[in-house]
Amino acid sequence: MSAIADWLGPAMFAGALLLLSLGYPVAFSLGGVAVLFALIGISLGVFEPVFLTAMPTRIFGIMNNFTLLAIPYFIFMGSMLESSGIAENLLETMGQVFGRIRGGLAIAVVVVGALLAATTGVVAATVVTMGLISLPTMLRYGYNKELSVGVIAASGTLGQIIPPSIVLVVLADQLGVSVGDLFIGSLIPGLLMAGAFILHVVVIAIVRPDLVPALPPELLAVQGKRLLLKVGQVMVPPLVLILLVLGSIFFGVATPTEAGALGALGALVLAWANGQLSVKSLREICDRTLRTTSMVMFILLGSTAFSLVFRGLRGDRFINEALVNLPGGQVGFLIVSMTTIFILGFFIDFFEIAFIVVPLFAPIAEQLFGFDRLVWYGVIIGANMQTSFLSPPFGFALFYLRGVAPPEITTGHIYRGIVPFILLQLVVLVLIIAVPQLVEMLL
Amino acid sequence: MRIVNKLLQLSRWIDAVSEWVGRVAYWLVLAMLGIGCWNVVGRYIGQLLGRSFSSNSLIEAQWYLFSFIFLLGAAYTLKHNDHVRVDMFYARWSNKRKALANLVGTVWFLLPFCVLVIMFSWKVILASWQSWEMSPDPGGLPRYPIKSMIIVSFVSLIAQGVSEGIKAIALLTDHLPPPAEPHRAEIGSANESDLGGQP
Repeated sequence: MSAIADWLGPAMFAGALLLLSLGYPVAFSLGGVAVLFALIGISLGVFEPVFLTAMPTRIFGIMNNFTLLAIPYFIFMGSMLESSGIAENLLETMGQVFGRIRGGLAIAVVVVGALLAATTGVVAATVVTMGLISLPTMLRYGYNKELSVGVIAASGTLGQIIPPSIVLVVLADQLGVSVGDLFIGSLIPGLLMAGAFILHVVVIAIVRPDLVPALPPELLAVQGKRLLLKVGQVMVPPLVLILLVLGSIFFGVATPTEAGALGALGALVLAWANGQLSVKSLREICDRTLRTTSMVMFILLGSTAFSLVFRGLRGDRFINEALVNLPGGQVGFLIVSMTTIFILGFFIDFFEIAFIVVPLFAPIAEQLFGFDRLVWYGVIIGANMQTSFLSPPFGFALFYLRGVAPPEITTGHIYRGIVPFILLQLVVLVLIIAVPQLVEMLL
Repeated sequence: MRIVNKLLQLSRWIDAVSEWVGRVAYWLVLAMLGIGCWNVVGRYIGQLLGRSFSSNSLIEAQWYLFSFIFLLGAAYTLKHNDHVRVDMFYARWSNKRKALANLVGTVWFLLPFCVLVIMFSWKVILASWQSWEMSPDPGGLPRYPIKSMIIVSFVSLIAQGVSEGIKAIALLTDHLPPPAEPHRAEIGSANESDLGGQP
């Protein structure tokens, strides 16, 4: 009897993963699994329905959670910038600037990827845009196929970790740390990743110049002062917006939610100034904001039901005991928690991991490393998941790129091309783990 | 079969209501944006001028709107198939198999979950109405309407679930042509079998 009771929690976790693969929307699958296991628990006499009476209080707590309010603002800001053509302009201009040197186009992709990450943070959109605009140019002028797709997929996922990102907002909420701290903490690691990508391209340009040729001069139509002016025109608006949003958070002028509201307004003004604002586009962006917000929030509601039942079945205690008693203490826990998140990242989306798995790990991380290290732990999770999303065979970024890549790019090119970038990210990840000051020096 | 056609009629009704609610709700995003900005700017201008332009009711209005958006948008999002799926296998299935998965998911996951939430929430919400519950902060908003939105949201999800279930049955019994419109949730999935098939 008690043996069944002990294993019901872990069985629920495994059952959820299995049932999610049915492909029904995650939010409701999680809720359904909660009902199913609550009924099994009640019939076996090991679950008290009273645990579920916390449900309305939890839902209400989610509704008036000031941190989560930032989500629609950042989604709005990202969609608005995306639809105002900022990515296209940046890519074309940066291509003109960097195209004259070997490896320049690839560097332009990394720089634009980092800039877009700091403004829109929408991974799918970034990868798709760069795949549509930069990839054909790179291929036409003799760039190595593997390198081209690798650099695009990798740079596109920078939005996960470079602030402000919805991923970090959700992660901060689940870890119980301040969003601002997590934003500040992930800035240097995010830039380190972008820097590592650029370094990689530079090294290739020196060692194997044939893989990354410079653009032919006749293609670089815009020269001198006019180019400088164009760079200013496309760079200044997003930079101002980044400074507005991140600056006001970093200097404590506004909370992340307030900064998100102002950033969304800023994006609206930019689109208007570019002549890209119409009732139709505004309506589409509001529509998309509503759908994405609803999707994220309902995964949270489903996870809430899931974790209430999971706790009622004492699954959290089971996991806690297993993790605290791991051999190797801190290192053992880091290895197990990071491997778990990395592998889960192949199969399920970020939000499921954040809402179900992170709450299981967070208390133990706090116990082992202390509350002050939770921001660092959060940044590692973010960096880890970014790597996970790039990893074959199920990395999300790879799917998005595959969808828009020209036919001469095979799946094999994408898989081979992404490997060096995964290794680079792992190096940066290990570096952050080994040197927590990289995260904490700006705090 | 006449019964399926009757059911499809019901499904169209539900779809129309969800669509209408969603279209009204997405404009609330702009209202939320406006109030959010007003609250920040008002706070700073207020500090400069020594008077308050924001208030508890405006601060609460911000998260009231947020709740309206995601609670009212849920059924609309379900209708448009924008609730994210783990589509490793799903994306490769035929339309009929997808319809079967949706039918099973609706009956076993969505409907029980909604019933569960309503079952455990209605008493708390009724109590809120009975006491005309107000915000604990001075000048705050009444709580009973926003708490009721939980019920509204999950009832609308049940209705939309019924509609999706009917459409799945109609597709399985050849009363409906397979869906033509691809959606964002499946970007790139056209090539997915290619991706998974190679080493």
